[in-house]
Amino acid sequence: MVEKVFVGMSGGVDSSVSALLLKEQGYDVVGVYMKNWSKDLPGMKCPWAEDLADAKRVAVKLGIDFEVWDFEEAYREKVVEYMLKEFRAGNTPNPDIMCNQEIKFKLFYEKAMERRADYIATGHYARVFRQEGSTGYLLARAVDENKDQTYFLYRIYDEALAHTIFPIGEMTKPEVKKLAEEEGLHNAYKKESMGVCFVGEVGMKDFLKEYIEILPGEIREIESERVLGYHEGVIFYTIGQRHGLYLTGIAGEINDGLPYYVVKKDIENNIVYVSKNLNNEHIWTKRLELKDVVLRAQGLASLSRSGARRSLPSPRGSRATPQFANFRTPLRQDSNATRANNGDIFVRLRHRAPLIPAKMTLSEDGAATLEFEKEVKRPAAGQSAVIYDGEICLGGGIIQ
Amino acid sequence: MIYLDHAAATPVSDKALKAMEPYFSRDFFNPSAAYLPAKRVAADYERAKGEIAHAIGAKATDIVMTGGATEANNLAFTALDNQMRSLTASVLYLETEHDSVRAVAEKYNGMAIRVLPNGLIDLDDLKAKITDETMLVSASLANNELGTIQPMAEISAILKNIKIDRLKRGIKQPLYLHSDASQALNLLDINVSRLGVDMLTLNAAKVYGPKGVGALYVAHDVKLSPISVGGGQELGLRSGTENVPGAIGFAAAIKEAKEHLNGNRKRYAKWKQTLLKELRDYELINKKHTLDNFVVLCYSGIDAERLIYLLEDREVYVATGAACAASKGQKSHVLAAIGLSDAQIAGSLRLTLGETNDEEQIHMAAQIINEVVDAEKERVHG
Repeated sequence: MVEKVFVGMSGGVDSSVSALLLKEQGYDVVGVYMKNWSKDLPGMKCPWAEDLADAKRVAVKLGIDFEVWDFEEAYREKVVEYMLKEFRAGNTPNPDIMCNQEIKFKLFYEKAMERRADYIATGHYARVFRQEGSTGYLLARAVDENKDQTYFLYRIYDEALAHTIFPIGEMTKPEVKKLAEEEGLHNAYKKESMGVCFVGEVGMKDFLKEYIEILPGEIREIESERVLGYHEGVIFYTIGQRHGLYLTGIAGEINDGLPYYVVKKDIENNIVYVSKNLNNEHIWTKRLELKDVVLRAQGLASLSRSGARRSLPSPRGSRATPQFANFRTPLRQDSNATRANNGDIFVRLRHRAPLIPAKMTLSEDGAATLEFEKEVKRPAAGQSAVIYDGEICLGGGIIQ
Repeated sequence: MIYLDHAAATPVSDKALKAMEPYFSRDFFNPSAAYLPAKRVAADYERAKGEIAHAIGAKATDIVMTGGATEANNLAFTALDNQMRSLTASVLYLETEHDSVRAVAEKYNGMAIRVLPNGLIDLDDLKAKITDETMLVSASLANNELGTIQPMAEISAILKNIKIDRLKRGIKQPLYLHSDASQALNLLDINVSRLGVDMLTLNAAKVYGPKGVGALYVAHDVKLSPISVGGGQELGLRSGTENVPGAIGFAAAIKEAKEHLNGNRKRYAKWKQTLLKELRDYELINKKHTLDNFVVLCYSGIDAERLIYLLEDREVYVATGAACAASKGQKSHVLAAIGLSDAQIAGSLRLTLGETNDEEQIHMAAQIINEVVDAEKERVHG
């Protein structure tokens, strides 16, 4: 019996090649374009119609069925509303992570299962392994360290992960592009898709202004409390940001050419605090508090109970075995470089950011504390800290 | 390449291109400037407008040049902005109109007139929906997805009787008839008096002229509001320096189209018959009352959009519906209006013939489409 896979196709090269590989591996493949957002934004034409046409063209070329699944309402409710709520609370949420959790690996997964799918697949750079001697599945970093997208996937539901194939998780981006070219997939050179999730930092402010009214307030230097300029609402700013600050004329005179960074947001009084002191305590920290912590691997569940500091068990002892035909490469043996000697975990504070060793202490209520040996640049509240042991993504949490 | 989408765009004809060329560089002057070379350009521009007007039996002064048909359609609806109008002025439009009419009609709370299953206006529905408040009726001369030709003279006769009746009863509300003739301009012999229209939209891009150039014919008693204000060009309705090369190109193209009208129609009609004979397993959607170059087919059980991509691989270019709607992934409101099921709409293909085609291409196209349809059927049904 041929197994059925619904593959999310965005029109980009990664998901196109994913569909191609699944077809070659003999699955019964259905391409699906998830229509999550279609509205144009200031300075950004929403490319959904072109993306849809690109995805369909590839599906036709591959000779697979193709459908459009409309998730616009759910996306608006689960991702956009969440985003706006977080911004209003002064946080800087990551819509990508929420989109994966609620749309791609929930609604898309559920609908595929209703349609008697054996698996879903996406063009993410990530891998899935079955945990030996358990029914659990492990999320592992992609072979291409540059493209690894597990940072965006750490919150996806176990049930969906157990039925997910990441066809390009074993490939590097150049390999993916080369294959696309060889197969005459026209979008091999296409710019990477940037959905609404990904309006970027500057675009995000324009996006928010569509929904949130501006509220003028002061920009103050944190050390002196001097008013240096005015802003359009504290929620439009992110800790660490240095662009888009409306500093008045005196700025040049007092900042001796060095840029000011946002170091603190006073939501209550609508004040943005800035500093040019890169060593400011608000920028650097050795400790981060997490909330809404997700722990992925089942074998690690006990960790969430203790409240005591504990090292995470190594998945090495029970090495994962590739379960699907396309998971050719076993987990790398030489991953010591990314593993701490004392059993600590590694943390990633941004997509593609370096892995930093840390100790994690869990508390009862789904919160956790991360402690670092060296100071790290403090990420904005609402962003995610994702934890790893070797190549395995153990989960993560939302930075407070 | 076999291009079968002339309803979406046409290449600029050699004559039109050649006529336009000097006005981009040598004769670049602003028609409003005072010196002689500029006045010559102004005269050439007026002459071009005269030729465009002549093609529809009108005069240069009846023509407002616009940046395409969409703008002309929008301008036509400003008749409702007229200060003299009663507060309750209303508008009727055909439900199968192009989006550029539907969207602007919606802005004015327009009400749609139904079409019959053959695509023609339901005249009873028109009569039923016209009230004393109705100020504008808009119906395209030929539909952009089906090529259906509307009985404009019949519509205008109905409106004329209503106008007479209104006058008898002392009602001052005017009643205008607007028609979008974008698709019909090079395929029908058009005369505004014979059609009985008060406003007519023209489009250069569909008649082998330049894109972004259109015109609105406006009868003398129609009062419109400017869509842009400034230097007062185009009778004050569209300020901005005139697109001289555009108007010159449009005039050359429309002149050429008129000269070859009958010959072209005969050729297209013959090619259409060839296609209908040589293609297999289709249902013809636009059977009657249609432009000679429109062939709308339905392949049941097939997703016609897939055919577009399969044909694209064979360098045959076709459409499923209006290019603008298709690119938004919307299902055709036109095909739905004539009562096609969702499955029929999904299986519908629009072929529009034109000057880039020849007889050999038509045979070839029929063969390639047959092959592609067979292959897709094989894929679906195994």
